[in-house]
Amino acid sequence: MLELRGLSKHFGGVRAVDGLDVTVERGQIFGLIGPNGSGKSTTVNLVCGVFPVTAGSVSFEGAEITNSPPHVALGNGIARTFQNIRLFSELTVWQNLWVAQNGQESVRSQGFFSRWLSGNRGQRASVEEQLEFSGLADKRDEPAGSLAFGEQRRLELARALAARPKLLLLDEPAAGMNLEEVKQLDERLRWLNEQQGITILLVEHVMELVMGVTHRIAALNFGRKIAEGSPAEIQQNQAVQEAYLGRSEEEGDEGGGSS
Amino acid sequence: MIVDFVQNTLDGIFVGSSYSLLAIGFTLIFGVMRRLNLSYGPSIMLGTFAGTLLFVEFEAGLLAVAAATLAGAVLAGVYVERVCFWAIRRGAALASMVSSFAIWMQLEEIVTVVFPDRTYPFPPLADFALEPGPFFVRGDHLVMFACAAAITVLLHLLLYRTRFGLALRAVSRNPAAAAFVGINTGLVLFSAFALASAIGGVAGYLIAAADQQITPFFGLWATFKGLIAMTLGGMGSIPGAIAGGLLLGIIEAHSGWYLGTEYRDLSAYAVLFAFLVFRPGGLFAQRQTLRSQLAARRV
Repeated sequence: MLELRGLSKHFGGVRAVDGLDVTVERGQIFGLIGPNGSGKSTTVNLVCGVFPVTAGSVSFEGAEITNSPPHVALGNGIARTFQNIRLFSELTVWQNLWVAQNGQESVRSQGFFSRWLSGNRGQRASVEEQLEFSGLADKRDEPAGSLAFGEQRRLELARALAARPKLLLLDEPAAGMNLEEVKQLDERLRWLNEQQGITILLVEHVMELVMGVTHRIAALNFGRKIAEGSPAEIQQNQAVQEAYLGRSEEEGDEGGGSS
Repeated sequence: MIVDFVQNTLDGIFVGSSYSLLAIGFTLIFGVMRRLNLSYGPSIMLGTFAGTLLFVEFEAGLLAVAAATLAGAVLAGVYVERVCFWAIRRGAALASMVSSFAIWMQLEEIVTVVFPDRTYPFPPLADFALEPGPFFVRGDHLVMFACAAAITVLLHLLLYRTRFGLALRAVSRNPAAAAFVGINTGLVLFSAFALASAIGGVAGYLIAAADQQITPFFGLWATFKGLIAMTLGGMGSIPGAIAGGLLLGIIEAHSGWYLGTEYRDLSAYAVLFAFLVFRPGGLFAQRQTLRSQLAARRV
């Protein structure tokens, strides 16, 4: 479904991503792990067209989409969430979801008035659905910026889903969550994957989540892939253990990621 | 005495409503792009010359002149957007401002070359006046005020009741996130610019029709009035633009009457200076925006 071939991104002399080959099959939850600065976020950013690639290609459902700008990537069916939450904090919860329907195939193909003015009943209903799903129905008229941290994360996920994506890129969705919340997220991702048929690329540090929920994992270090396989294989892998050894898994920005 | 005061205030409000329209256009562009478009006035001026061309050459009627003014202003505005904003969208905000100044000079040059006579007639809009009691209200001033009020209401509906308005606000608050929820930010900015230019075109038409003449210096005048009114009200705020425009009109009317017309602009600048020193955010300072920007930087 998503194919990265020889993908590279150099920032000056820093090779944030360096000749990365990854294939995500339809229906998978694919994990991308690696120490801080290993190029995970940069990879997500390259897929979404945040900045141009230095070399290599990105293809989605067989069509090359290298360097497509973000709104085009979304139009193709690729939605994402951010490591640092990026909601429209002055807009209400409902409005955050409503405006995000712009990414939906069925909305984009509609006439001018329906798309830009008021939308139709079906579109409003689907916003209600997202509100229910994310458990934010009672906060619908509150500004997104006033929500608690965990609620903001749920809203961001709901907002990405409002576009009805085929592929969901999650950039450290469990960062800052407690174990209970991680468990909820785990269930939610399984539900999206199994019931909604959404393919997921999961960038994550929290191993409890990655090892439990993913079908396949690629491990990065210094922008290169050092291992790929099932969660069990990755846990046994010598190179992966060495990459993590002696490193503290602190939260924070990756060196290469500019998000 | 009291009659003079009320009459001046009324005049100020009526003239100020056109300043409000100019300021709304300014603030719309600034609010969405966080960039200043100095070429705003001159692109409106170009529109009014398109109107006057139809009037002088073909003796066109009111509607045709109004339509030409509007279309000219929008075309010139869109040209400015492509050259000064879209083309250097990744550059510094200052680069856009400087290039919009360059385009200002270019537009003024074009108009002085094509229309060498400097002053041209513009068809009047409404040749009647009301005299309620001791007061006197010009008909075109009434139309001006009504148009300003109608545009304000329509703009409010567009911004707060439609998905386009929501997309516009989303882009202005967080362009990166807006792109990731599927909004074509370039297209939204372009539309906002065209919208601002259309509002400016209406303002330009109403002002030119009230003055019944037009010169290439109208661009300078419109940029100044719009900029001052926007700054008084609070940059990026639409209620601020309306209040700032009315305030500027009232200040001008009173100082023109009590101090003499030669002090009119001077008093406006004095008030602007006082605002910049004591209340730099303007009447409707956007505290919330500032706070969320700080928060965004912290994360």
